[in-house]
Amino acid sequence: MIDPRPAAVAGKLAGVKRILAFAGAKGGVGKTICAVGSALALSAAGKRTGLLDLDFQGASAHILLGAELSFPEEASGIKPFTVAGGLELMSIAAFSGERPVPLRGTSVTEAILELLAVTVWGRLEFLIIDMPPGSGDEVLDLIRYVARAEFVLVTTLSPLALPVGGRLLRLLEELGVPVLGLIENMAPGPRRAREGAQAKTAEPLLALPLLGRLPYDPDLDRLIGDPRALMGSCLGRELSKIAARL
Amino acid sequence: MHEWALAEAVLATVEKIRREQGGGAVRSVRVGIGELQAVDLEAFRLGLSSLLEGSDLAPEVFQFQKEAASFRCNRCAAEWLLTDQGPEGEEAREAIHFLPEAAYVYLRCPSCGSPDFRLQAGRGVSIQEVELEGGGD
Repeated sequence: MIDPRPAAVAGKLAGVKRILAFAGAKGGVGKTICAVGSALALSAAGKRTGLLDLDFQGASAHILLGAELSFPEEASGIKPFTVAGGLELMSIAAFSGERPVPLRGTSVTEAILELLAVTVWGRLEFLIIDMPPGSGDEVLDLIRYVARAEFVLVTTLSPLALPVGGRLLRLLEELGVPVLGLIENMAPGPRRAREGAQAKTAEPLLALPLLGRLPYDPDLDRLIGDPRALMGSCLGRELSKIAARL
Repeated sequence: MHEWALAEAVLATVEKIRREQGGGAVRSVRVGIGELQAVDLEAFRLGLSSLLEGSDLAPEVFQFQKEAASFRCNRCAAEWLLTDQGPEGEEAREAIHFLPEAAYVYLRCPSCGSPDFRLQAGRGVSIQEVELEGGGD
Protein backbone atom coordinates (compact mmCIF):
# COMPACT_ATOMS: atom_id res chain seq x y z
CA MET A 1 0.00 0.00 0.00
CA ILE A 2 1.33 3.44 -0.95
CA ASP A 3 0.50 6.65 0.89
CA PRO A 4 -0.22 9.25 -1.82
CA ARG A 5 0.19 12.30 0.43
CA PRO A 6 4.00 12.73 0.61
CA ALA A 7 4.15 13.32 -3.16
CA ALA A 8 1.58 16.12 -2.81
CA VAL A 9 3.27 18.06 0.00
CA ALA A 10 5.90 19.76 -2.17
CA GLY A 11 3.18 20.94 -4.58
CA LYS A 12 1.05 22.38 -1.79
CA LEU A 13 4.06 24.31 -0.48
CA ALA A 14 5.37 25.33 -3.92
CA GLY A 15 4.15 28.91 -3.54
CA VAL A 16 5.81 29.36 -0.13
CA LYS A 17 9.23 31.03 -0.30
CA ARG A 18 10.53 30.18 3.17
CA ILE A 19 9.41 27.76 5.86
CA LEU A 20 10.61 28.51 9.38
CA ALA A 21 10.00 26.11 12.27
CA PHE A 22 10.13 27.66 15.74
CA ALA A 23 11.29 24.88 18.04
CA GLY A 24 12.79 24.33 21.46
CA ALA A 25 13.09 21.01 23.19
CA LYS A 26 11.93 22.14 26.64
CA GLY A 27 8.29 23.00 27.24
CA GLY A 28 7.30 26.45 28.47
CA VAL A 29 10.19 28.40 26.95
CA GLY A 30 7.89 30.54 24.80
CA LYS A 31 7.93 28.96 21.35
CA THR A 32 4.32 29.93 20.66
CA ILE A 33 4.80 33.58 21.67
CA CYS A 34 7.89 33.77 19.46
CA ALA A 35 6.28 31.98 16.49
CA VAL A 36 3.00 33.91 16.64
CA GLY A 37 4.70 37.26 17.34
CA SER A 38 7.16 36.80 14.49
CA ALA A 39 4.35 35.78 12.12
CA LEU A 40 2.31 38.83 13.12
CA ALA A 41 5.31 41.12 12.66
CA LEU A 42 6.09 39.71 9.20
CA SER A 43 2.45 40.04 8.19
CA ALA A 44 2.31 43.62 9.50
CA ALA A 45 5.44 44.39 7.46
CA GLY A 46 3.47 43.53 4.32
CA LYS A 47 4.88 40.05 3.79
CA ARG A 48 2.27 37.38 3.07
CA THR A 49 2.66 35.02 6.01
CA GLY A 50 1.13 31.75 7.15
CA LEU A 51 1.19 30.14 10.59
CA LEU A 52 0.85 26.38 11.07
CA ASP A 53 0.38 25.16 14.64
CA LEU A 54 1.90 21.68 14.79
CA ASP A 55 1.68 21.46 18.57
CA PHE A 56 -1.24 19.03 18.43
CA GLN A 57 -1.43 18.30 22.14
CA GLY A 58 -0.92 21.89 23.15
CA ALA A 59 -2.37 23.88 20.25
CA SER A 60 -2.61 27.46 21.47
CA ALA A 61 -1.59 29.81 18.64
CA HIS A 62 -5.30 30.46 18.01
CA ILE A 63 -5.78 31.41 21.68
CA LEU A 64 -2.90 33.87 21.55
CA LEU A 65 -4.41 35.34 18.38
CA GLY A 66 -7.92 35.47 19.82
CA ALA A 67 -9.15 33.49 16.81
CA GLU A 68 -12.34 31.44 17.01
CA LEU A 69 -11.91 28.57 14.60
CA SER A 70 -14.73 26.69 12.92
CA PHE A 71 -14.34 24.17 10.11
CA PRO A 72 -12.23 25.53 7.26
CA GLU A 73 -13.58 26.53 3.90
CA GLU A 74 -12.93 23.96 1.17
CA ALA A 75 -11.37 24.90 -2.15
CA SER A 76 -8.93 22.61 -3.90
CA GLY A 77 -8.10 21.46 -0.39
CA ILE A 78 -8.77 23.31 2.85
CA LYS A 79 -8.20 27.03 3.20
CA PRO A 80 -6.36 28.50 6.19
CA PHE A 81 -8.20 31.04 8.35
CA THR A 82 -7.35 34.68 7.76
CA VAL A 83 -6.84 36.26 11.19
CA ALA A 84 -5.40 39.43 12.72
CA GLY A 85 -5.69 41.49 9.55
CA GLY A 86 -4.08 39.11 7.09
CA LEU A 87 -2.19 36.26 8.78
CA GLU A 88 -3.15 32.81 7.39
CA LEU A 89 -3.62 30.26 10.20
CA MET A 90 -4.10 26.48 10.26
CA SER A 91 -4.41 24.52 13.47
CA ILE A 92 -5.72 21.14 14.62
CA ALA A 93 -7.92 23.18 16.96
CA ALA A 94 -10.20 23.79 13.95
CA PHE A 95 -11.16 20.12 14.21
CA SER A 96 -10.72 19.35 17.90
CA GLY A 97 -11.93 22.56 19.54
CA GLU A 98 -10.75 22.60 23.15
CA ARG A 99 -11.06 18.80 23.56
CA PRO A 100 -8.04 16.61 24.34
CA VAL A 101 -6.13 15.24 21.34
CA PRO A 102 -4.66 11.90 22.51
CA LEU A 103 -2.49 11.02 19.50
CA ARG A 104 0.21 8.36 19.53
CA GLY A 105 3.27 8.54 17.24
CA THR A 106 1.89 7.08 14.01
CA SER A 107 -1.26 9.18 14.31
CA VAL A 108 0.85 12.31 14.79
CA THR A 109 2.59 11.51 11.51
CA GLU A 110 -0.76 10.89 9.79
CA ALA A 111 -2.15 14.21 11.00
CA ILE A 112 0.97 16.16 9.96
CA LEU A 113 0.91 14.60 6.50
CA GLU A 114 -2.80 15.26 6.06
CA LEU A 115 -2.49 18.93 7.01
CA LEU A 116 0.56 19.40 4.79
CA ALA A 117 -1.10 17.63 1.84
CA VAL A 118 -4.49 19.33 1.89
CA THR A 119 -3.92 22.87 3.23
CA VAL A 120 -3.90 25.39 0.39
CA TRP A 121 -1.44 28.10 1.44
CA GLY A 122 -1.15 29.76 -1.96
CA ARG A 123 1.62 32.31 -2.33
CA LEU A 124 3.41 33.16 0.90
CA GLU A 125 6.73 34.77 1.67
CA PHE A 126 6.90 32.99 5.03
CA LEU A 127 5.25 29.95 6.58
CA ILE A 128 5.97 29.96 10.30
CA ILE A 129 5.49 26.64 12.11
CA ASP A 130 4.89 26.51 15.84
CA MET A 131 6.50 23.22 16.92
CA PRO A 132 5.69 21.26 20.08
CA PRO A 133 8.36 20.71 22.72
CA GLY A 134 10.74 17.81 22.23
CA SER A 135 12.66 16.27 19.37
CA GLY A 136 10.22 13.50 18.48
CA ASP A 137 7.68 12.79 15.77
CA GLU A 138 6.80 16.34 14.77
CA VAL A 139 10.42 17.45 14.35
CA LEU A 140 11.42 14.27 12.52
CA ASP A 141 8.34 14.30 10.29
CA LEU A 142 8.75 17.96 9.37
CA ILE A 143 12.36 17.32 8.36
CA ARG A 144 11.30 14.21 6.44
CA TYR A 145 8.45 15.76 4.49
CA VAL A 146 9.56 19.40 4.23
CA ALA A 147 13.26 19.13 3.52
CA ARG A 148 13.69 22.88 3.03
CA ALA A 149 12.43 23.86 6.49
CA GLU A 150 14.78 26.10 8.47
CA PHE A 151 14.73 26.08 12.26
CA VAL A 152 14.70 28.91 14.78
CA LEU A 153 15.43 27.71 18.31
CA VAL A 154 13.84 29.27 21.37
CA THR A 155 15.10 28.89 24.93
CA THR A 156 15.28 30.52 28.29
CA LEU A 157 18.61 30.71 30.09
CA SER A 158 17.39 28.23 32.71
CA PRO A 159 19.83 25.41 33.46
CA LEU A 160 16.88 23.10 32.85
CA ALA A 161 16.21 24.44 29.35
CA LEU A 162 19.70 25.02 27.93
CA PRO A 163 21.01 21.41 27.91
CA VAL A 164 17.70 20.07 26.59
CA GLY A 165 17.70 22.66 23.79
CA GLY A 166 21.33 21.74 23.12
CA ARG A 167 20.28 18.14 22.46
CA LEU A 168 17.76 19.29 19.86
CA LEU A 169 20.44 21.46 18.23
CA ARG A 170 22.76 18.45 18.08
CA LEU A 171 20.04 16.38 16.41
CA LEU A 172 19.37 19.11 13.83
CA GLU A 173 23.10 19.45 13.10
CA GLU A 174 23.41 15.68 12.73
CA LEU A 175 20.54 15.73 10.21
CA GLY A 176 22.06 18.67 8.33
CA VAL A 177 19.07 20.93 8.99
CA PRO A 178 19.72 24.70 8.78
CA VAL A 179 19.34 26.51 12.10
CA LEU A 180 19.03 30.27 11.66
CA GLY A 181 19.71 31.22 15.24
CA LEU A 182 18.47 31.51 18.78
CA ILE A 183 15.84 33.56 20.56
CA GLU A 184 16.49 33.98 24.28
CA ASN A 185 13.15 34.36 26.00
CA MET A 186 12.35 35.66 29.48
CA ALA A 187 15.83 37.17 29.49
CA PRO A 188 17.11 38.41 32.86
CA GLY A 189 18.40 41.95 33.50
CA PRO A 190 21.97 42.94 32.48
CA ARG A 191 23.73 41.98 35.77
CA ARG A 192 22.12 38.53 35.98
CA ALA A 193 22.65 38.04 32.26
CA ARG A 194 26.42 38.65 32.66
CA GLU A 195 26.63 36.21 35.57
CA GLY A 196 24.58 33.70 33.63
CA ALA A 197 26.69 34.06 30.51
CA GLN A 198 29.90 33.43 32.48
CA ALA A 199 28.42 30.26 33.95
CA LYS A 200 27.00 28.98 30.68
CA THR A 201 29.60 29.68 28.03
CA ALA A 202 29.97 25.93 27.51
CA GLU A 203 26.34 25.58 26.37
CA PRO A 204 26.36 24.87 22.57
CA LEU A 205 22.95 26.48 22.19
CA LEU A 206 24.43 29.87 23.16
CA ALA A 207 26.97 29.64 20.34
CA LEU A 208 24.15 30.07 17.79
CA PRO A 209 23.66 33.52 16.21
CA LEU A 210 21.43 35.51 18.58
CA LEU A 211 18.28 36.63 16.74
CA GLY A 212 16.94 38.49 19.74
CA ARG A 213 16.45 38.61 23.47
CA LEU A 214 12.93 38.97 24.84
CA PRO A 215 12.40 40.47 28.28
CA TYR A 216 10.38 38.67 30.94
CA ASP A 217 6.92 40.21 31.01
CA PRO A 218 4.98 39.43 34.21
CA ASP A 219 1.84 40.85 32.58
CA LEU A 220 1.97 38.71 29.47
CA ASP A 221 -1.42 37.14 30.21
CA ARG A 222 -3.19 40.45 29.56
CA LEU A 223 -1.89 40.37 25.96
CA ILE A 224 -3.25 36.91 25.19
CA GLY A 225 -6.11 36.98 22.71
CA ASP A 226 -5.30 40.53 21.57
CA PRO A 227 -2.73 40.52 18.73
CA ARG A 228 -2.78 44.32 18.44
CA ALA A 229 -1.94 44.72 22.14
CA LEU A 230 0.74 42.02 21.89
CA MET A 231 2.50 43.72 18.99
CA GLY A 232 2.19 47.14 20.62
CA SER A 233 3.90 45.92 23.79
CA CYS A 234 7.60 45.94 24.59
CA LEU A 235 7.59 42.21 23.80
CA GLY A 236 5.94 42.83 20.43
CA ARG A 237 8.48 45.51 19.51
CA GLU A 238 11.33 43.11 20.25
CA LEU A 239 9.57 40.39 18.23
CA SER A 240 9.31 42.81 15.29
CA LYS A 241 13.08 43.35 15.46
CA ILE A 242 13.58 39.58 15.44
CA ALA A 243 11.22 39.15 12.47
CA ALA A 244 13.25 41.74 10.52
CA ARG A 245 16.33 39.52 10.99
CA LEU A 246 14.70 36.37 9.59
CA MET B 1 -14.10 19.99 -1.70
CA HIS B 2 -10.86 18.83 -0.20
CA GLU B 3 -11.30 15.56 -2.13
CA TRP B 4 -9.61 17.57 -4.89
CA ALA B 5 -6.38 17.73 -2.84
CA LEU B 6 -6.56 13.98 -2.19
CA ALA B 7 -7.04 13.33 -5.92
CA GLU B 8 -4.03 15.57 -6.60
CA ALA B 9 -1.99 13.49 -4.16
CA VAL B 10 -2.98 10.24 -5.89
CA LEU B 11 -2.13 11.63 -9.30
CA ALA B 12 1.23 13.06 -8.15
CA THR B 13 2.13 9.66 -6.69
CA VAL B 14 1.13 7.72 -9.80
CA GLU B 15 3.21 10.08 -11.96
CA LYS B 16 6.16 9.70 -9.58
CA ILE B 17 5.95 5.90 -9.74
CA ARG B 18 5.68 6.04 -13.50
CA ARG B 19 8.78 8.28 -13.79
CA GLU B 20 10.75 6.04 -11.45
CA GLN B 21 9.85 2.97 -13.48
CA GLY B 22 10.72 4.21 -16.93
CA GLY B 23 7.65 6.19 -17.99
CA GLY B 24 5.50 3.34 -19.35
CA ALA B 25 1.75 3.65 -19.86
CA VAL B 26 -0.44 3.15 -16.81
CA ARG B 27 -2.67 0.10 -17.14
CA SER B 28 -4.52 0.39 -13.82
CA VAL B 29 -4.44 2.12 -10.45
CA ARG B 30 -6.22 0.53 -7.51
CA VAL B 31 -7.22 3.22 -4.99
CA GLY B 32 -8.34 2.30 -1.49
CA ILE B 33 -11.05 4.51 0.01
CA GLY B 34 -11.01 4.15 3.78
CA GLU B 35 -14.39 4.41 5.43
CA LEU B 36 -13.25 6.61 8.33
CA GLN B 37 -12.61 9.76 6.26
CA ALA B 38 -15.98 9.46 4.50
CA VAL B 39 -14.53 10.68 1.22
CA ASP B 40 -17.21 11.71 -1.26
CA LEU B 41 -16.31 9.35 -4.11
CA GLU B 42 -18.18 11.41 -6.70
CA ALA B 43 -16.31 14.56 -5.67
CA PHE B 44 -13.06 12.60 -5.74
CA ARG B 45 -13.78 11.26 -9.25
CA LEU B 46 -14.73 14.75 -10.42
CA GLY B 47 -11.47 16.18 -9.08
CA LEU B 48 -9.51 13.40 -10.68
CA SER B 49 -11.21 13.89 -14.06
CA SER B 50 -10.47 17.64 -14.00
CA LEU B 51 -6.85 17.05 -13.04
CA LEU B 52 -6.46 14.48 -15.81
CA GLU B 53 -7.46 16.95 -18.56
CA GLY B 54 -4.54 17.21 -20.95
CA SER B 55 -2.89 14.11 -19.47
CA ASP B 56 -2.40 10.80 -21.25
CA LEU B 57 -3.97 9.05 -18.25
CA ALA B 58 -7.60 8.04 -18.68
CA PRO B 59 -10.02 8.25 -15.71
CA GLU B 60 -10.99 4.64 -16.48
CA VAL B 61 -7.65 3.28 -15.24
CA PHE B 62 -8.60 4.23 -11.68
CA GLN B 63 -10.49 1.58 -9.75
CA PHE B 64 -11.82 2.21 -6.28
CA GLN B 65 -12.12 -0.21 -3.43
CA LYS B 66 -13.84 0.74 -0.19
CA GLU B 67 -12.14 -0.36 3.04
CA ALA B 68 -13.97 -0.83 6.32
CA ALA B 69 -12.58 1.12 9.27
CA SER B 70 -11.65 -1.00 12.27
CA PHE B 71 -10.18 -0.19 15.66
CA ARG B 72 -8.45 -1.95 18.56
CA CYS B 73 -8.37 -0.61 22.10
CA ASN B 74 -4.88 -0.21 23.61
CA ARG B 75 -6.33 -0.56 27.10
CA CYS B 76 -8.75 -3.52 26.97
CA ALA B 77 -7.90 -5.03 23.54
CA ALA B 78 -11.50 -4.83 22.34
CA GLU B 79 -11.88 -4.63 18.56
CA TRP B 80 -14.69 -2.89 16.74
CA LEU B 81 -15.81 -1.52 13.41
CA LEU B 82 -16.82 2.04 12.59
CA THR B 83 -20.23 0.65 11.70
CA ASP B 84 -20.52 -0.75 15.27
CA GLN B 85 -19.69 2.56 16.91
CA GLY B 86 -19.02 5.63 14.77
CA PRO B 87 -18.95 9.37 15.46
CA GLU B 88 -22.09 10.90 16.90
CA GLY B 89 -23.30 14.18 15.46
CA GLU B 90 -22.46 16.30 12.46
CA GLU B 91 -19.57 18.11 14.16
CA ALA B 92 -17.68 14.89 14.90
CA ARG B 93 -18.34 13.48 11.42
CA GLU B 94 -17.18 16.69 9.74
CA ALA B 95 -14.04 16.92 11.89
CA ILE B 96 -13.09 13.31 11.05
CA HIS B 97 -13.81 13.93 7.37
CA PHE B 98 -11.36 16.85 7.35
CA LEU B 99 -8.77 15.15 9.56
CA PRO B 100 -9.30 11.44 10.30
CA GLU B 101 -7.11 11.71 13.44
CA ALA B 102 -9.98 13.68 14.95
CA ALA B 103 -11.34 10.15 15.56
CA TYR B 104 -9.15 10.12 18.68
CA VAL B 105 -10.90 13.29 19.80
CA TYR B 106 -14.46 12.10 19.28
CA LEU B 107 -14.51 8.26 19.44
CA ARG B 108 -14.15 6.05 22.49
CA CYS B 109 -13.72 2.29 22.95
CA PRO B 110 -17.24 0.84 23.10
CA SER B 111 -16.06 -1.67 25.69
CA CYS B 112 -14.11 0.38 28.28
CA GLY B 113 -14.60 3.99 27.14
CA SER B 114 -10.89 4.63 26.55
CA PRO B 115 -9.70 7.24 24.05
CA ASP B 116 -6.45 5.24 23.74
CA PHE B 117 -7.11 3.00 20.76
CA ARG B 118 -5.56 2.21 17.39
CA LEU B 119 -7.05 2.56 13.95
CA GLN B 120 -6.25 -0.77 12.29
CA ALA B 121 -7.60 -0.19 8.77
CA GLY B 122 -9.73 2.08 6.63
CA ARG B 123 -8.29 5.52 7.42
CA GLY B 124 -8.54 7.37 4.12
CA VAL B 125 -7.25 7.41 0.57
CA SER B 126 -4.41 5.03 -0.30
CA ILE B 127 -2.91 3.54 -3.44
CA GLN B 128 -3.04 -0.23 -3.31
CA GLU B 129 -1.48 -1.00 -6.67
CA VAL B 130 -0.21 0.73 -9.78
CA GLU B 131 0.09 -1.50 -12.83
CA LEU B 132 2.24 -0.24 -15.71
CA GLU B 133 2.69 -1.55 -19.25
CA GLY B 134 5.61 -3.92 -19.03
CA GLY B 135 4.51 -5.49 -15.78
CA GLY B 136 6.00 -3.32 -12.97
CA ASP B 137 3.87 -2.21 -10.03
